[in-house]
Amino acid sequence: MVKMSLEPVQVMSGQVAELKVAPSSNGDSAGSWEGKREFDKDHLGLTAKPKPVTGRRARKVEGGVFFPKPENAVTVAVSSRVLFRTEREQKVFEQQGVEEYLRYQIEHENEPFAPGPAFPFVKALETVNARLRELYPQSEELFDIVLVTYNHAHVGIRLINTINHHNLFIERFCMTGGSSPIGYLKAWQTNLYLSADANKVREALTEGIAAATMFMPEKMTEVSESQLRVAFDGDAVLFSDESERIFKAHGLDKFFEHEKENEDRLLDHGPLKGFLEALGKLQKKFYAKGQRLDCPIRTYLVTARSAASSGIRALKTLRAWGLEIDEALFLAGAPKGPMLEKIRPHIYFDDQMFHIEGAAEMGTIAAHVPYGIAQKHNSKHNTSAGK
Amino acid sequence: MVSTDQKTDVKEKEADCPVVVAVTSHAVFESGGAEDPDGLYVGGIAFPLLQALQKVNERLLKENPAESLLFDVILITTDSQQQQQSSRITESIRHHGLKVSRFCFSNEEDFMENLLNNNVHLFLTTNRNEALQGSQKGVLSVLLDEHTASCPTEQLRVLFCGDAVVQSEAGPALASKQAAQSFSAQIGKMRGRFGLFDSPISIALVTSRGGRESCGDALRTLRSLGVNADEAYCLAGVPRGPIKRLLQPHFLLSECFSSN
Repeated sequence: MVKMSLEPVQVMSGQVAELKVAPSSNGDSAGSWEGKREFDKDHLGLTAKPKPVTGRRARKVEGGVFFPKPENAVTVAVSSRVLFRTEREQKVFEQQGVEEYLRYQIEHENEPFAPGPAFPFVKALETVNARLRELYPQSEELFDIVLVTYNHAHVGIRLINTINHHNLFIERFCMTGGSSPIGYLKAWQTNLYLSADANKVREALTEGIAAATMFMPEKMTEVSESQLRVAFDGDAVLFSDESERIFKAHGLDKFFEHEKENEDRLLDHGPLKGFLEALGKLQKKFYAKGQRLDCPIRTYLVTARSAASSGIRALKTLRAWGLEIDEALFLAGAPKGPMLEKIRPHIYFDDQMFHIEGAAEMGTIAAHVPYGIAQKHNSKHNTSAGK
Repeated sequence: MVSTDQKTDVKEKEADCPVVVAVTSHAVFESGGAEDPDGLYVGGIAFPLLQALQKVNERLLKENPAESLLFDVILITTDSQQQQQSSRITESIRHHGLKVSRFCFSNEEDFMENLLNNNVHLFLTTNRNEALQGSQKGVLSVLLDEHTASCPTEQLRVLFCGDAVVQSEAGPALASKQAAQSFSAQIGKMRGRFGLFDSPISIALVTSRGGRESCGDALRTLRSLGVNADEAYCLAGVPRGPIKRLLQPHFLLSECFSSN
């Protein structure tokens, strides 16, 4: 990535000063995210009364367990390969075939899998849930973590044993035995799908479900156990790839020119916009109880845009969407790795493998969003196929 | 085929007998005896299911021409009108390419006797009373409706409902636990004749209410019956409707897990 200027990295946190925003002139756009997966305020019901949940205060009540309705919860679907480490089993599958793979799984049924790249993220979601339950014991507005896997149900008992071993609160799962889980993701109103397989992630994205591919990094730096930190790239993640297209086709100068001309025109939605929105709604629940400073959710924008120029359009767009982001980091083209290492997010979403790899080198858990024009230029990394 | 106990498999192979499936003519053909231009009966609710059963038989025989664990389909009718026109029934059966080994014409009183005399393992009907009677006599009886049976897949899809309290919208699969368990074991064995992919039978497990432990228990119960599920869904309170529509089961079984 070309170093765009010598501007120092600008970090803007908290409330950005009031920006004048022209009325939305988005009109009908080429973006496929317009209106899709809109996280409807009414359904999350922050302004409405929380639905009374009779007799369900504690997590486990008399043989019944507290399960939020999909429309109320923020559903995060994770595949078994990103929640846990299954490299050994993968090898058996690739080298000896599926029958041997299942036999191996059953033989090792009582050996729990080790944590995978999505594990810290899921643990952090549970921490947020614990805090939410303290403040709103009757509410169903929580994270709901669902295990979604292409595995056959033969592996089911080992997965359940592993969930038990790690004391995870995952009560819903879906083992499709080889068929596509997309229908189930939709039925569960999934807000985010994490998988090791880029093809499945792409399929989810085309169906309007926020999704990203995760990889096992060589090292995982320690992350906070008390605060969920989620970092997003801007273009082609929160926003559409429209500006990136200009940059790729016409170069940096044209990009700047275009962004300046269109400063007051909102960017189109990107695939992860809905998820940021969902996080924001949960954040507001903490603010409502006076816990802004102590909020267990923190969001970051980590973009190559510059604060003084191209970044303005990004901020205005977020503002117009009614989305708050806790920290916006405008790198002006500088490498993202070191900044991410400082933030230590539980997950970082980017559309470019170059940045994903850079992040991973420094131990940041990064997830690739295979969306937009950058995918034609992703040459380095081979996407992993299989279960 | 994933088998945890090869020896038992070999021994039991010698003792395999057919799985007798009795289906009422009203389920096979459009109720009311609707006719097509040739005067033959039009296919009804159980039609795709029978085709799937047949496909399983074909594949079983392909794997092993001497296979004895096959579906044996018999047609039962108490409809006197249809009995008078028995040739029309047999013609219709032949025309639609269905393989029925026996026809049982009986009246309503003898009807249950017929089921028992024919050693029926599974009774399929669209009539709730018949299903109830069947189960009272200890025969695994499944009430078919337009949602469960008429799915377009060629593959026979069996859905086990792991929560004992859960019943299908069509009505319960009624029977003694024993009849359900032995039928399930037979299905499990049939499934075991094929590999993981491209199988003409697929077995799915759904638990609706409980959390992962109840699903784990259900998986273990199935395994003890010799059934290895292909798919498993632990819904834990998520509405079942959309999931069931995706699963497209031909029929549902829940009696294996009941507490009585």
